[in-house]
Amino acid sequence: MLSRVADNLYWMARYLERAEHSARVLAVKLEAMLEQTPEEATEAWVRVVASLMWPLAQPVAGAPDALAYRQTLDRNQPSSVFNSIRLARDNARQVRELISTEMWAQLNTLYLRMHAVDADDEWRAQPVQFLQEVVEELLLFAGVTDSTMRHGEGWHFIQLGRYTERAQAVSRLLDLYFGSQPVDVTQKLSSARYFDWLSLLKQCTAFEAYCKVYTAHIEPAKVAEFLIFDPEFPHSIRFATDRIQEELSHVAPGAGGARRVQAERLAGRLKAQLDYGQVEELLAGDIDGFLQGIQSSCKQIHQSMYDAFIGYGVDELLTA
Amino acid sequence: MDPSKSAVRLTVVSNRARPGHDAPFAAYDLGLAHDEMFGQDGLPRSHAKDLYDTLCTLPVAELERRQQTCERSFLHQGITFTVYGDEQATEKIIPTDLLPRIVPGAEWDKLERGLKQRIVALNAFLKDVYNDGKILNDGVVPRDLVYGSKHYLRQMRGVSVPLDAYVNVCGTDIIRREDGTFVVLEDNLRVPSGVSYMLANREVAKRAFRDLYRGYGVRPIEHYGQELLATLKALAAGFRDEPRICLLTPGIFNSAYYEHAFLARQMGVELVEGRDLFVHDNVVYMRTTAGVKRVDVIYRRIDDDFIDPLAFRHDSALGVPGLMNAYRAGNVVVANALGTGVADDKAVYSYVPDIIRYYLNEEPLLDIVETYRCREPKALSHALENLDSLVVKAVGESGGYGMLVGPQASAAEREAFRAKLKSDPDNYIAQPTIQLSTAPCFVHGGVEARHVDLRPYILHGADTRLVPGALTRVALKRGSLVVNSSQGGGSKDTWVLP
Repeated sequence: MLSRVADNLYWMARYLERAEHSARVLAVKLEAMLEQTPEEATEAWVRVVASLMWPLAQPVAGAPDALAYRQTLDRNQPSSVFNSIRLARDNARQVRELISTEMWAQLNTLYLRMHAVDADDEWRAQPVQFLQEVVEELLLFAGVTDSTMRHGEGWHFIQLGRYTERAQAVSRLLDLYFGSQPVDVTQKLSSARYFDWLSLLKQCTAFEAYCKVYTAHIEPAKVAEFLIFDPEFPHSIRFATDRIQEELSHVAPGAGGARRVQAERLAGRLKAQLDYGQVEELLAGDIDGFLQGIQSSCKQIHQSMYDAFIGYGVDELLTA
Repeated sequence: MDPSKSAVRLTVVSNRARPGHDAPFAAYDLGLAHDEMFGQDGLPRSHAKDLYDTLCTLPVAELERRQQTCERSFLHQGITFTVYGDEQATEKIIPTDLLPRIVPGAEWDKLERGLKQRIVALNAFLKDVYNDGKILNDGVVPRDLVYGSKHYLRQMRGVSVPLDAYVNVCGTDIIRREDGTFVVLEDNLRVPSGVSYMLANREVAKRAFRDLYRGYGVRPIEHYGQELLATLKALAAGFRDEPRICLLTPGIFNSAYYEHAFLARQMGVELVEGRDLFVHDNVVYMRTTAGVKRVDVIYRRIDDDFIDPLAFRHDSALGVPGLMNAYRAGNVVVANALGTGVADDKAVYSYVPDIIRYYLNEEPLLDIVETYRCREPKALSHALENLDSLVVKAVGESGGYGMLVGPQASAAEREAFRAKLKSDPDNYIAQPTIQLSTAPCFVHGGVEARHVDLRPYILHGADTRLVPGALTRVALKRGSLVVNSSQGGGSKDTWVLP
């Protein structure tokens, strides 16, 4: 497979995952806002938007509605949902001959809807509904991809992109809740705090899955355990890092061991950290450092995957 | 027998629609041009009769519905081109007309022989002007015309080209004169495009007129991808049994990107951009996830100027540095060869009949349009005196740019062109304005006549072949003679009969 093509598929998946994550977080927050005082809402929004926005040139400020719009439909905001979908489609267009017609049609239709002149009206009338529909279309795209595209190298690059983005997004989100202030895990939750943790679960589409494991009794330590260490929930960090390690072993089947060893070593080490970690240890120690470590590991894996398969130097290959 | 059917048939016979009088042909003008559907007597030609009958029976609403289905299919498949405006680039679908243009089999066969003869002679000409220059020494074609052409590439002198096949894909523009004969308007020997629209039009027209298509027994064209692949493969036969072939595109911002991706998919070859390729020790490689792989044949859809920044335009970011050297070294085949533009120059065009006689010792089977070369003083004064009835074209341009259609231009435009002609006569040719033939098109809820041309695609390598079909381009504006898509033209399917 052409390196550029692998790059396009990988980034298409990353942008789509980013769009899905942002849209879900925004939808949940817009709804949660109804239960909050204006001060609480503003404070919560600033934190959340800061975790979705890049590049973070200036401090985030503004009313929740304006911030939500900016992160959804603003064409001048590089990290808006609109732009993520646009960039994913640009990448898909470059590999139009490789992805299935059904995938293209699904993505193209979603893009045309976000691009339509009446998208702004639709948003103003029912922002939560709008975001939820975007999430549904993106989930549909993932399903279409799995059932219409050959599960060959290209598909594995798509999975790699999706889970790399997911591991980073979830750890960034958790860091907002656990990193900034120490969480007193023993104290009983006030109702405002309860809603806050509930909404964290919903932002990771995890509330129902959490209840099946721990019942509706919400405790920060259990939320952390579930979202970081659950081996079977698709939006937990552990699930994502498992997939990263697995997918890395399937991409670039023709590339020899020496070229892939660095990326595979990093992915294996990250997986081991999650496989053998313990939430009590983290909460007593440096959970902030741990979550940031996951993000930097993902960046390193991304970089060494690039060095091995996509942006490699050609000199040693030609002389060998 | 079904009585309702016979009733319909009877109505048709008794209410035969006449062009210019009855629906759906009420707005159909039979002008000076040859019409593809109606003879001079206003009756449908024998090969157009079935199409005519179908159009008389179908309600307009049904035609409209089919036209919309066809447009939606284009939009969903992304058969679009990009128009660049101020800030946002917009994607538009290529205007396509539902009604097929029908070419009788005998006419096509004659055309095909003429086109094959022409491409063989043009290839011989290219080999000659980049090597011995016999035709120039013999004074058949003026030396300065060839060497002074901006498309003549000195870098190609003495380069050996596989099978001496310089032009592997050729799109020749054919028009019908007022008397109904086919003549060549121009050859596109560089990177002709549009073949994907020929195939896409066929797909929608087949769906829109199922029974009609089957009844006519239209010759198929769907194997174009295979034929192109076979032609490219044969070019590398000298050094590789299973050559690695790729299609080089300028990328998604190119207006023909859809076609590039489409052809790559049809042939099952890799679609590459300049940045995917690199040259090492005069060998071309592509960069894959499993390491680097050697490339043997490049079907390039990038112009000569942009293909190698080391040899040509150094500001090109689309090309592959060092490609020209790898090509000269014979390590890679580039199709079409570089420098072919010298033979589709509009001044050289006027010499093609002589070129055919010189190399093949045959009379040309296809006429060309009478051409005044403004480099000759007599022709120049004729052109200047008759600007209001002539078409004047810059010799090195294509795509409908740099031309004046005398009868349709304003006085100011004509004066501006007069000044250009006087200051640089070598750069222009003039031709009489030809009323291109008209064909029925579905517009404004009726069937109207629009001017059309015909672009078949000829493939040349180990042998010469073409699929029996062509892109029929349509000037969608009533009365307009300009069919180029960059100038508001559309296209329709072409049915070649057995």
